[in-house]
Amino acid sequence: MVDQLPNLGREKEMLEAMGMSSMDDLFADIPEAVRMNGELPLRGPQSEEEIIADARRILGANVALGDRVNFLGAGLNRNYVPASVFQLITRGEFLTSYTPYQPEVSQGMLQAMWEFQTLISELVSLKVANLSVYDGSTAAAEALTCAVRVHNRKATQKDTIYISELLPPARISVIENYTQGGGVVIKTLRHNSDGTLNLESLSEAAGSCGIYVEQPNPLGILDGGLTRVKEIIGDGTAFIVGVSPVSLGLIEAPGNYGADIVVGEGQALGSPITYGGPLYGIFACTNAYLRQMPGRIVGRSIDVDGQEAFCLTLSTREQHIRRHRATSNICTNETLIALMGAMHMSLLGPEGLQKLAQRNMAACELAKKKLSEIPTIAIPHVMNCHYNEFVVELPGAASDCIAYLDTQGLIGGYDLSNWYPERRNWLLVSFSDQTKAAEIELLTAHLAVWSASVSPGVSA
Amino acid sequence: MSHLFEHKGAGGKGYSQPESIMPTDNLQIPSSLVRKDLPKWPRLSEPEMVRHYTWLSTRNFGIDTGFYPLGSCTMKHNPRVNEVIAQLPGIADLHPLQPEHQIQGTLSIFHEMQEMLGICAGMDAVTLQPVAGAQGEFTAIRCFQEYFRKRGESQRTKVIVPDSAHGTNPASASMAGFEIIEIPSQEDGRIDLNALRAVVGDDTAAMMITNPSTLGVFEPEIAEAAEIVHAAGGQMYYDGANFNAILGLTSPGIMGFDAVHYNLHKTFSQPHGGGGPGSGPIGVKSHLAEFLPGPVVKRRPILAGDRMTSVNKEWWYHWQEPENSIGKVQQWHGNSGAVIRSWAFYRRYGRDLKTMSQHAVLNANYLRHKIMQEAEAKGVGHRFCDGAPVDVVKHEFTLSFAPMKEEIGIGAMDIAKGLLDKGYMAPTVYFPLIVPECMMFEPTETESKEVLDEFAIKFVEVLQEDPDVLHEAPITTKVRRVDEVYAARNLVLSYPFDEE
Ligand SMILES: Cc1ncc(COP(=O)(O)O)c(C=O)c1O
Repeated sequence: MVDQLPNLGREKEMLEAMGMSSMDDLFADIPEAVRMNGELPLRGPQSEEEIIADARRILGANVALGDRVNFLGAGLNRNYVPASVFQLITRGEFLTSYTPYQPEVSQGMLQAMWEFQTLISELVSLKVANLSVYDGSTAAAEALTCAVRVHNRKATQKDTIYISELLPPARISVIENYTQGGGVVIKTLRHNSDGTLNLESLSEAAGSCGIYVEQPNPLGILDGGLTRVKEIIGDGTAFIVGVSPVSLGLIEAPGNYGADIVVGEGQALGSPITYGGPLYGIFACTNAYLRQMPGRIVGRSIDVDGQEAFCLTLSTREQHIRRHRATSNICTNETLIALMGAMHMSLLGPEGLQKLAQRNMAACELAKKKLSEIPTIAIPHVMNCHYNEFVVELPGAASDCIAYLDTQGLIGGYDLSNWYPERRNWLLVSFSDQTKAAEIELLTAHLAVWSASVSPGVSA
Repeated sequence: MSHLFEHKGAGGKGYSQPESIMPTDNLQIPSSLVRKDLPKWPRLSEPEMVRHYTWLSTRNFGIDTGFYPLGSCTMKHNPRVNEVIAQLPGIADLHPLQPEHQIQGTLSIFHEMQEMLGICAGMDAVTLQPVAGAQGEFTAIRCFQEYFRKRGESQRTKVIVPDSAHGTNPASASMAGFEIIEIPSQEDGRIDLNALRAVVGDDTAAMMITNPSTLGVFEPEIAEAAEIVHAAGGQMYYDGANFNAILGLTSPGIMGFDAVHYNLHKTFSQPHGGGGPGSGPIGVKSHLAEFLPGPVVKRRPILAGDRMTSVNKEWWYHWQEPENSIGKVQQWHGNSGAVIRSWAFYRRYGRDLKTMSQHAVLNANYLRHKIMQEAEAKGVGHRFCDGAPVDVVKHEFTLSFAPMKEEIGIGAMDIAKGLLDKGYMAPTVYFPLIVPECMMFEPTETESKEVLDEFAIKFVEVLQEDPDVLHEAPITTKVRRVDEVYAARNLVLSYPFDEE
């Protein structure tokens, strides 16, 4: 405690300089009736050594992903982040700065974020990107409210948006919370039995304010049909795509097949999973949506000497100026995590990104090949191309299978009945650039044993 | 000037990667989805990348660089042990969908934080899910909305905010679908109870306010304000941005608030990171607990069948969905990394968080006094006035430079730029909106007396500066005054590859 308060023990001297005699004088303005008397009923202070020892002991009781053979993903995958990224963001000039309200002494972060915008804009092939929103889920939600603001006046289906029926309930819930205030009606887009978007039913969405789908979709499927979406829904309806950013090293950028807004969870580029936060949400769009975009944007400018300089721009969209008419309430965002993303992207380069995407896909493909050899399980969408994950249909409940795999030292995947209650036997298994061939062998062997044990009349 | 996209690098091997675990020449990507042109990303070697970002860092000002008195933002020192802890695999390498028996350590820390935050604010239940102050505001307003819906009072569609409020307050309430009623403050910045009485009614959903106010002044009539709003059937929302002033001295609960957000990046030292990440947990009184976003952490005594963990032998920690939860505001469990850092910060102080707040207030009053005294001594005391004429302020204070603007044409922004030349970050300017030519100073508890003394002298030197010099300021920074109008008129939001 003392090490954080340089004026401890000097209170008297400072008070006397102000003509006061006790610390209580500083709080004389708090009426008696609303004072808290006595001590806070909390524990005593600790030294740094004690804190770090406690942290190691308590957090050491967790099972880290790296302690196990892990197939849990469902939108957050364990990608390798180069060491230099972690080293560089500890620089206090970055770490301990705040929103660059004084651009003359904040050129470092401003330029880094302008470069981040460029990296993202190039990645998704859209003209503009902001410098991050909170995470992938709020990015999707803010994209939908943005679409309503842009299109509602001319929409034939007023206040209406469409989202994929496959979205995880948590993501839908965020979207509902963000859109309900505007009285927005959320309708769902149906899918075919092979897991791809049903393009016939998509025509129902024409005339609405916007649609939101993901590539890969929540079942890991890369859906070629999405390249036809824009021609079906037309110009008056926003086509919003949620992406896994690393996949774009191999998969076409949505900006090149008609997407108006691209969002996504940035985590795989630059950030550990950290139990689901902090992460960063990617948000990019065409010029038509720029003025209704949420969040901060950096622009290039000049200083009084005509030198290149950077500053925040288009702030009139934001809460500190526009107040209740702002495009979003976001203020503090995820700049430092976006900076980690920029550093990772800078190291990867175009070919590095491509290779990283290949490694992710290769792991998924190898797993699909191995698991499809198990006679007692099925891979319902096996004919599709997958990225990072796919569904396995088991001969018993996924929850039982996960419990069994846990006893064998595996974090076996995700029980999809949490998303789709009728799918008790669906297990979502995930693979990333960190997955080893031997781990896939292990999963295959354990799944074969477990599946045989629950399938009547089959011996492993 | 060095551009990321202009480095003529060594050919794109920033770091080498192992080979794929299977050949990738036949991945069978649908032909319509095969990417044709790779993004125009730079191709750098690691030394080039490290040098680029290190160079950028030298062009940025942080708390570690120097005094950062940015009012309303609580730019206190960020203890480095917190960074070490947040990188431990027991938090960094954890997935939010892992089963409870694998994350007992994290859940126990979350539980400790929920309890501690509840105690400090006088609230009954806490969620750690919102990831920033603004999201906390939005979350609480959503809880109010569901509370009224359940009571059949959906006609409560109006949220009252004082004109001194931060922009996120009206923005958050409006996003949730409420109409904003802005009420004027009194001359001295305090809440105008008559104006409040005039607008409350059976359409009032809530009032959003911070105390100490955005002028750094404690609202003496806060309990009366709460009474007026409650009597009309509305809820009271506490914007916790200014919490650093009052820990252990009073609490939103005692003042009569129903809900509060905490900015862990302000009060609990989560580093601001150039703009984020933050964390904005909220606390509520018991009548709102059932509406909180879920899940929240609960604990029960260990039972025989529980899988033992080494956290402790007494408690089993588990997630629980509040009965009538509004659902989610972030997909997972919030900014857990920030919560862990804030836990480490809390452990450093424990019950002495009260001493921390006392020192934050001591420093603010001392700096205010020193600036006034020095300005009087140098004959420039008439160039500014108090944002609020009070004997004591809390953790921050405002000064209005309207007199100076009037006298010699130098306003808050010019003074801010002059301060940059002295090696300081400028205080917050032009907020709150009700104080003309406003500067808002918040030194925090982590600055020494010497820093404050020196700053007061340098600040007054700026006030004495030749106006022509100040119009030109800053001159010592990496770039000079940046043309924000030019940026908005000539939008260049990404690197213009075509200009090459
Ligand atoms: C008074 C006040 N209220 C609310 C906020 C919003 O908090 P955040 O930036 O964490 O969203 C801020 C912060 O900037 C603030 O100063």
